[in-house]
Amino acid sequence: MSYAPAHPFKTVRAPSFGARPAKADLAGLRRRFAAGGGAAPHRWPSVSLGEAAIDDALPGGGLATGALHELAPFSQGDLAALAGFSLGVLGNILRIHTGFVLLAAPDYHLAREGMFYPPGLVAFGCDPDRLIAVRAPNSKNVLWALEEGLENNALAAVVGILPENDRLYDFTASRRLVMRAVESGVTALLLRSGRDNAVTTAAQTRWSIAAAPSAAQHRRGAHLPGLGAPQWQVRLTKIKGSAPKTGALGGWRVRWDDETFYFRLAAAMADRAPAILPAFTPANAGPEWAAAS
Amino acid sequence: MQDRNGRPPRNDAPVASLPKAQLPKAQLPKAQSPMALSAIAQQGQRLTAVNAAAEKVGVHAGMPLADACAMYPSLLVAPADPQADSAALIRLALWHQHFSPYVRVDAPDGLALDITGCAHLFGGEAALLKDMDRRLTGFGLTARLASAPTIGASWAAARFGPQRLTLVTGETLHDQLAPLPVEALRVDASIVALLERLGLRQIRDLLGKPRAPLVARFGSPLVERLDQAFGKAAESFSPLSPPAAYRAQLRFVEPLITLPAIERSIGRLSEDLAGALTKAGKGARKVTLSLFRVDGWSQALSVQTSALSLSRDGAHLARLLCERLGAVKADAGFGFETASLSAFSVEDYDPHQEDLKAPGIRQESPDDLERLLDRLANRFGAGNVSRFCPRESYVPERSVRVASALHGAASHDWLAHGRALHGGDQVARPVLMFVAPEPVTTLSEAPDGPPIRFEWRRKSHRVTRADGPERIAPEWWRKTRGESRQTRDYYRVEDETGQRFWLYRDGLHERKDDAPRWFIHGVFT
Repeated sequence: MSYAPAHPFKTVRAPSFGARPAKADLAGLRRRFAAGGGAAPHRWPSVSLGEAAIDDALPGGGLATGALHELAPFSQGDLAALAGFSLGVLGNILRIHTGFVLLAAPDYHLAREGMFYPPGLVAFGCDPDRLIAVRAPNSKNVLWALEEGLENNALAAVVGILPENDRLYDFTASRRLVMRAVESGVTALLLRSGRDNAVTTAAQTRWSIAAAPSAAQHRRGAHLPGLGAPQWQVRLTKIKGSAPKTGALGGWRVRWDDETFYFRLAAAMADRAPAILPAFTPANAGPEWAAAS
Repeated sequence: MQDRNGRPPRNDAPVASLPKAQLPKAQLPKAQSPMALSAIAQQGQRLTAVNAAAEKVGVHAGMPLADACAMYPSLLVAPADPQADSAALIRLALWHQHFSPYVRVDAPDGLALDITGCAHLFGGEAALLKDMDRRLTGFGLTARLASAPTIGASWAAARFGPQRLTLVTGETLHDQLAPLPVEALRVDASIVALLERLGLRQIRDLLGKPRAPLVARFGSPLVERLDQAFGKAAESFSPLSPPAAYRAQLRFVEPLITLPAIERSIGRLSEDLAGALTKAGKGARKVTLSLFRVDGWSQALSVQTSALSLSRDGAHLARLLCERLGAVKADAGFGFETASLSAFSVEDYDPHQEDLKAPGIRQESPDDLERLLDRLANRFGAGNVSRFCPRESYVPERSVRVASALHGAASHDWLAHGRALHGGDQVARPVLMFVAPEPVTTLSEAPDGPPIRFEWRRKSHRVTRADGPERIAPEWWRKTRGESRQTRDYYRVEDETGQRFWLYRDGLHERKDDAPRWFIHGVFT
């Protein structure tokens, strides 16, 4: 688009919108743009997830509230693991924030993948009394409900579930969520069901969650060992503002501590298969063997 | 006394508009050509209604169809559709609500309005009748109208009065009713027949007669109807839709067609209604917007507010209503001439002082959540915005009650509920539960043990860890329909990748007659 004068004797001037901004405003605007966008800089606290290794990997020493976080399953079978991990994160947010939680999901997705079951949420520190569940007809309406929720001070967080084949969630949609979250201090957790999250978004962090085998609880007389505390293989694949890297920014094997309602690093060798030893021969036997024989 | 009027066509009229919709447009007869509607009666097909032209050629309602066709072979005949007629009559009654909120249908072909305190808004009763007549004629209806001090008198004058428009006042009540036939008294046909046999053909024949013999001979209804028509006995009027205590209304000089214009009028109505509620110290839970179209249609939109205080926020009401206008837009037709906003479920409401707000500090105002819930419920339906309540039941799908979020928050002891359900083992319940348990095929080592392998959604899982069984018996005291009434043994299992499932065996393995089937009821994390 060119601003060539329409008539040789008339000059077209750029439109002016009232008074010029004062100097202080300009400085404020510069700061805002320097902070990585049109929004105000962060003034909301960070939430510790309970494990120093994870908290240290996040700017601000914890998960930022008043921000958008995306969580995706590592594979299609990890939707339940994703739900559990997100609930753990949500439980940690609810620890420091009063207010309600808006859960929005398309109803066809809930019908196939299951509804959140309140008695099961208590174990993750989420009080079912604080949940408001919304069944939306499609993902467009899920995003609408999230935007509405993010504008509302009565909420601590909004949790949205997007179906696998969602095409509507893109940079613009994420930006709309981020702007509102930053403004109100409400945290948005977006659970994406599809593995493909290559699309660029304005989210603060992005996580990839996979289920991991729990520590076996061996019992006398049972065919199979019992289940241990839930475990996840967690990969932090994006942090806004940090240098783009290939692969994961951080990866941890995490378990849920249902006594303290915090994440803990899982002991690395909790359920290790027995190490395969080389076959026994007198040649590689120790000196005790030689002495005995 | 109250003023009433009715719009009943006599049997020369009713063909005109109501059943017209049944005919394709090309077939629509001109007003002059004789036409009749027929229905199957006891003795074959009979005419139920005829138009004026048909009456002129000697055809009348109640005549056998064969006779009519013999008399006038080119008579147009269409089947009568009483259901569509009554639906159309109700639609017309709803539209008349913009004259007065008290409207009722006098089946099969009449309407009654209680216009107490309304007539002066239209320039008096005579002007109101003329206005209604003009509009009804415009819709293509032949109507007879009457306004009278009693329900009975207006009914009689509208149906049996000498003119099409009749205005009966308190002074002329006696003189105008006296010459009407006894049929005008709304009594059974058998009583009318008996009266006529005795030579009592007009209402004046009954006036001044001793009451006791009349009651003895014809029963009490006749005397009661007589008293009601002359205002000596009370008669109740039950309107089609419940009257609203608080109502704001706007009439437009030109019909509104465009959405911005309708939105602006909604904004004004909302402010008016909110102001009226505030002034009266009330709040409403439900607000209904009615839009009246120029051509006799009306549309109603209801929105609910979860907090009484919100009904006093005009901007909030307007926002809720405007979000619903999408449904109306397609039906605007020739435009809306009147819009009214009514408040229902009105309750007393004491306002409280709002907290001082400091910028930059997270602070919720008490209505924030309700504001959000209203908008969510408005968009998704109240049933799709829900909260959870515990329910005392061990059956997993019954141990949680889903309640509409609009009914306010309550605090529950979920920890105690959990202890009751599963003895405090917090991870004993899944994170996601399926609406209907899905069948799985299993392979078990022992008949009473957990499966070592199962297939679900075409995927095979090898079980590496298992907990259970947790036995949950059905609630025998509850009547169930279609549900399995067997004891379930629940197992928590984990496969080699760490995915966890909540499986159950429906039925006990010990019993010979029931073959246990396996289902998946939820997934853990």
